[in-house]
Order: sequence, then structure tokens, then C-alpha cells
Amino acid sequence: MSGQSWKFVLTVVVGLLLTPLALACGGGDDDEPFRIGVMESATGPGETYGTVAIQAKQMAVEEINAAGGINGRMIELIVEDSKCSAQDAITAYNKLTDVDGVKIILGTSCSGAMLGAAPLAERDGVVMFSGLATNPDIAEAGDYIFRTSLNDAQLGVDTGNLLWADGIRTLATISESTDYAEGVRRTTVEQFENRGGEVVGEERYASDATDFRTPLTKLLNAEPDALHIAAQSEFTGGTIVKQVRELGYDGPIYSEIVPIGTTALEIAGDAATGLKAVITDIDPANDKGQDVLSNFREKYGYVTLPWYLGSAYDDVYITAECLKQTNDDQDADGFRDCLYEITWSGAIGDNYSFDERGEVVGLTNVVVEVLPLSERNEDNNGYRVLGPAPSS
Amino acid sequence: MSQLSESIRGLGASGPLRRMPRANVERIATVVVLGWAMGFMLWQGAGFTITLTTIFAIWAILAVSLNLVVGFTGLLSVGHIGFFGIGAYTMAILASDASYDQLRTESIPTPDWPFFAALPICIALAGLVALGVGIVFNRFRDDIFVLVSFGFAIIAFSFFLNLRELTRGAFGIHEIPRPAFGSWALDGEVEFLVFALICLALVVLICWLIVTSSFGRVLTAIREDEEAIAVFGYRVTHFKLAVWVLSAMMAGLAGALLASWTSFIDPNSFILLESMLLIAIVILGGLATIWGSLLGAMAFVLLEEGMRFLPFLPPEFVGQARQVVLGVLLVVLMLFRPQGLVGRYRL
Repeated sequence: MSGQSWKFVLTVVVGLLLTPLALACGGGDDDEPFRIGVMESATGPGETYGTVAIQAKQMAVEEINAAGGINGRMIELIVEDSKCSAQDAITAYNKLTDVDGVKIILGTSCSGAMLGAAPLAERDGVVMFSGLATNPDIAEAGDYIFRTSLNDAQLGVDTGNLLWADGIRTLATISESTDYAEGVRRTTVEQFENRGGEVVGEERYASDATDFRTPLTKLLNAEPDALHIAAQSEFTGGTIVKQVRELGYDGPIYSEIVPIGTTALEIAGDAATGLKAVITDIDPANDKGQDVLSNFREKYGYVTLPWYLGSAYDDVYITAECLKQTNDDQDADGFRDCLYEITWSGAIGDNYSFDERGEVVGLTNVVVEVLPLSERNEDNNGYRVLGPAPSS
Repeated sequence: MSQLSESIRGLGASGPLRRMPRANVERIATVVVLGWAMGFMLWQGAGFTITLTTIFAIWAILAVSLNLVVGFTGLLSVGHIGFFGIGAYTMAILASDASYDQLRTESIPTPDWPFFAALPICIALAGLVALGVGIVFNRFRDDIFVLVSFGFAIIAFSFFLNLRELTRGAFGIHEIPRPAFGSWALDGEVEFLVFALICLALVVLICWLIVTSSFGRVLTAIREDEEAIAVFGYRVTHFKLAVWVLSAMMAGLAGALLASWTSFIDPNSFILLESMLLIAIVILGGLATIWGSLLGAMAFVLLEEGMRFLPFLPPEFVGQARQVVLGVLLVVLMLFRPQGLVGRYRL
């Protein structure tokens, strides 16, 4: 190698070594903010939920900091993308704990990512606190794992009961091949069959599917009393509703939250009218919840998945309350104990708490019905609440 | 516009980098990537470096093994991720010790084998599947081979997703154990990293032995002119099948390591996009060079994970920005170094 090349190489290497060291030389001060990690799916299959969750948390932190912070200290969120994948969740987790030194992580929005990082959190004594992950397996993930999102198993039980109560005796199901949608289908069918119902057809589809006419035709040929849809993405949920009506089906349709999301209802149009869904929803009478939605719309110009938005928002306020007690963002054990003790009233409900498995208790699902196209607006999100879901 | 195109061409393939002696460019690329890695290590400390090095080791095994097929033999396979998944799922199914019957999700039998009992099965099963599909794939060349390997990746993913009685489908399999020698389990991150690096070293050694042997020279000849080498009496299909199976077995090993390291896998880890990233790593490092695959994997991990530290973007956009920047950097690199960092051969 010529002398000039070596000089070039040496310059590059020295530059690479010194630049990060210079960047790393930051001074600390006595009023350091509480540093809280956030792991959400900023990209990947759960991007919609992840982005809403990040923005809701940012909004909550800005409010808390604007009001003077916690015990005079601000809150700083360090956001990492877990991409809805176990491997990326592990990398994000290790970055947050090893590099940023956080002991409290809010997230994740995808159950697979949560299940990937939870064993590490359990081993290291780091609290993971999710507002969106719903996989039933997370209930057994450990002592440091908490969530304000309701377990899919309860959603399935409620949906099975609703079907039976509505006089449905034969059911056809179509579900996306993801852990969430498959979990909802499985528990719904289990409860429906326990009550005496019969499943006459089951179809599953990949997340990138766009045409559902063939599986739907097959299901309709079985002449079910009702069709149940469990989707992961709003695009597929809305498209299924639209296409099944185009095939001439005019019977009842039941679902979970995704097919009644803003995008799904736009795709389905009037075909979605009358669709019933069992969802977690922010009570219209809950002023705090309505304020959060209103502020979010004002700040970001849209609202989707309102309950999950509120759940992510509440998680930050619960965190702030526990930090007020422990006054130490490194005290994960104190924070965990606080979560076990706390009873909270916030955007997603009043007087809810956590059981010994870190599962939220005191919140319930509701049954909603999609309104005719002419009656849908931003305030009602396109549906009306019929009442609490039949949980037993 | 044409001036711009000329300028880009002047900077790129026919520009100063092109005129610099090849050995110099390769040395510069090597020193820059290694220097970058060292700088990153000093900056971020040991903990995160251990995580990144473990990811590097797993991706490097995949890249080195794929380079045997793509770089040395000239078979552009995008189905390697399927063998990676077979290794991972075999390890997960055989070694998981979760009590699924206590959960509300899909239940599967859990034989609860130790890691080292399951590992040979992971490698052998990946090889066996490769043998089966390789016999069929041997009938195809060039563009058609790319398409059928694409089909294999799709089929493998569908199996992982839909064979729920075995794989738990979308629910994934968790509680996959770490390797253990008797009562000494490699639970620590450093221990696992050392084990992964030993596996990588073994794979590199085997690949080096292959490519420097007469067998390897035949593979290179197949890449250059398959019909010509057949004229000399070499049974080309046997050579291609052999390297295909060996490569798949190494991918199976990488999959087993991934499953054990993450302790949880689901089908999302084996989507076609991962195959494309793998091809990008191999091309980024350079075709037909083992060192290139190692450098490519290192550069890729540093690029992707290094961009977690972009300081100037709102948090909700950092994830998207990482992907955009990564894509742009790959395009720029291909513009200036179409043969990769230390490559000897272009697709």
C-alpha cells in the first residue's frame, strides 16, 4: 500500500475512534431526568399500533414535564424500534439496558417482541410494562412483566358469550395468521363451543392477502348463522367485510377491534354497517379519556385505535406516579412493587389495578355496533357502544 | 441530467475508486469496517457490543454459507432463509421446555431435549431437506433457479406458519434453552457469544477448506462456465448438490443458534425480506470471498444497529429513518463498489 493510502486509512480510523469518544464525553448534573425506555414497533407489521403508542407516550411526557415533572425532575423517553420481532426486541432491549442503563421499559406493542425480550427482563430485574401486547402467554412471562392491555383470552370468552347470547348457533370464522388474530379466533371458538355452538367453517389467510372471495365463498356455502373475523391489519379486516357483502352475504358479522378501525371502516364503507365487535373502548362518559383523544387529535391530526392510544398514555402517568414514590429510575424492584399496589383511574377506565401475574384487572370489554355511513364521524369513531360484553 | 449521470459514473465504477489498485481498496475497506467496529465498541461499551457481536456471528455463518452457493458456485439462491428457519424450528421443537398445556394458546409436545442433542438433528434435517429440494432444483439454472429458490422460501414460511400442531403457528415457540455442558449452562451473554464465535470459526474453516480444495476449484469453474467443465467429465449436478447441502447445513446451525439465543421464535423471523437482506450482506461484502462475507455481516450489523443512535430525529421516525438510510447506503455502495467491499466477482 502506498504511503498516501496509509495516511488516508489512518485518518479514517483515528477519526472513527475519536468522534464517538468525543460525543460520549457529556457531563452529568444533579437534575438529570428520569430515563425511561420505550420499545414499540415503529416499523414492521405492528407499525400502526407502535406509532400511535410512541406518540401517545410522548404527549403524556410533554404534559408531565410542562407541569414541572416528577419531584422536580423531568422524564426522558428513550425510544427504540422493536419491529414486531423477537430478535429486534432483544437488540432494542440490550441497547436500552446496556447503553442507556434504563431499568423501566414501556412496551412492546407486539406480543412476539414482548415474549422475546421478557425472559431477559425477568433475568435482569428490568420492568417491562406494555399497553398493547395481548397474547395470553404474556400472563406467564414473569414477575417484572405488566400490561394494561386486556388478555386476548378474555376477549375470546366475551365474544363467544356474545355470539351465543345473540342466538348464533352455527359459526364460520376467518382469521389472519398472526398470534393476535389466531389467539382471538381460538378462544372465541373455544367459548362458543363450550356454550353449545358449532363451528361449520374455518379459514386462515396470510397477512399479505388481498382477495378473500374464495375462502369466503367456501365459508358461506356452509350456511353459518354468523361470520366471525379476526384480523391483524385494518386493510385485510376492512377488505373482508367489503368482499363478503359483495358476495351477497347479509347475515351478522362479528369481529374484534381491527375491522372497525378508522382505515378498515373507510375500506369497507357501508358494508360494515351493523357489524358487531367486542372491543376495549374509552367510555364516552370518561372525561379524561375524551380529553386525551381530543388533545391527541389536535397535536397529531388523527386518532386511531383510541383505547390502545389511551392505554399507552396511561402507562406513562402510572410510571410517573410510581417514580414519584420511588424517586429512582434505577429501582426496578420498587417500581414493580408500586405497580402491584397501585389502583389507577385514567384514560382507559377507573380504579383498575394489576393482579399477581401483572395482568390488568378492573377493565372490561364492551360490545359496539358500526353505524350507517351517514352517521359516522370523528367523535363516534364510526360506531356506538351497546353495553358491556357478557363476560360469563 | 446526462451530466449528472456522467458525474455519478465518474465517481463510481469508473472513478477514482476503480482506478485505485484492488488490493488497496480491499485493505481500506477492511480497515474502515474494523476501525468502525472498534470505535463503536469503545463508544457503546461491552454490554451492547456483546449483543451486536452475537448477531454478527449468526449472520456471518449465514453469509459465509450462502456465499458458497451464490459467490463460489454462481447459484443465486434466495431460499437460504428456509434452511435457517428449519434449523431454528427444529431446535425450538426439540428443546423447548414450555408447559403449553397451561396456556390458552396452541399446545405442542415438548420433548425437552438438551441443546447438544438437538443440534445435530437441526443440522442434519436442514441438510436432508436441502438434498430433497436440491435434486429438483438441479434441473434449473440462472433466472429460473432464482424463482424456484424464491418458491422454497415461501413454502418454508408457510410451513412454519400453518403447521400449527408442530410449530404453534403465529404464536411462536418460547422457552428454548441455551447450550449446556452438564450442569454448566451458557446462560451468560459472554459465554453464548464465545460459543457462537467458535461455531463461526468452524464454519469459516470448513468453507476455507472447501474453496481452497480441488472441489472448490470445480465450483468456481461451474460458476464461470458450467458446460465447459462438464465437457471435462465433471458431474456438475453432483458438485452443485453437494455444496447446496453443505451450505444448508451451516444455515441450519445458524438457525439453531438464533433459536437458543433469542429463546423465542415465530415465523416473522423467517420472512422473505430476511433472505433479501442476507443476499445484500453477501453482495455488500463481496462474492466469492469468505473474508468479504465476514466484513459484509459486520458492516451490515454496524449500519443497522449503529443507526439506533441517530440523534437528530423525532423518536417516532427513527425506525423508518434507519431503514431509509440503510437502503440509501446500500445503493451508494453498489454504485461505487458493485463487486462489494472485497469482492472478486460480480453477479
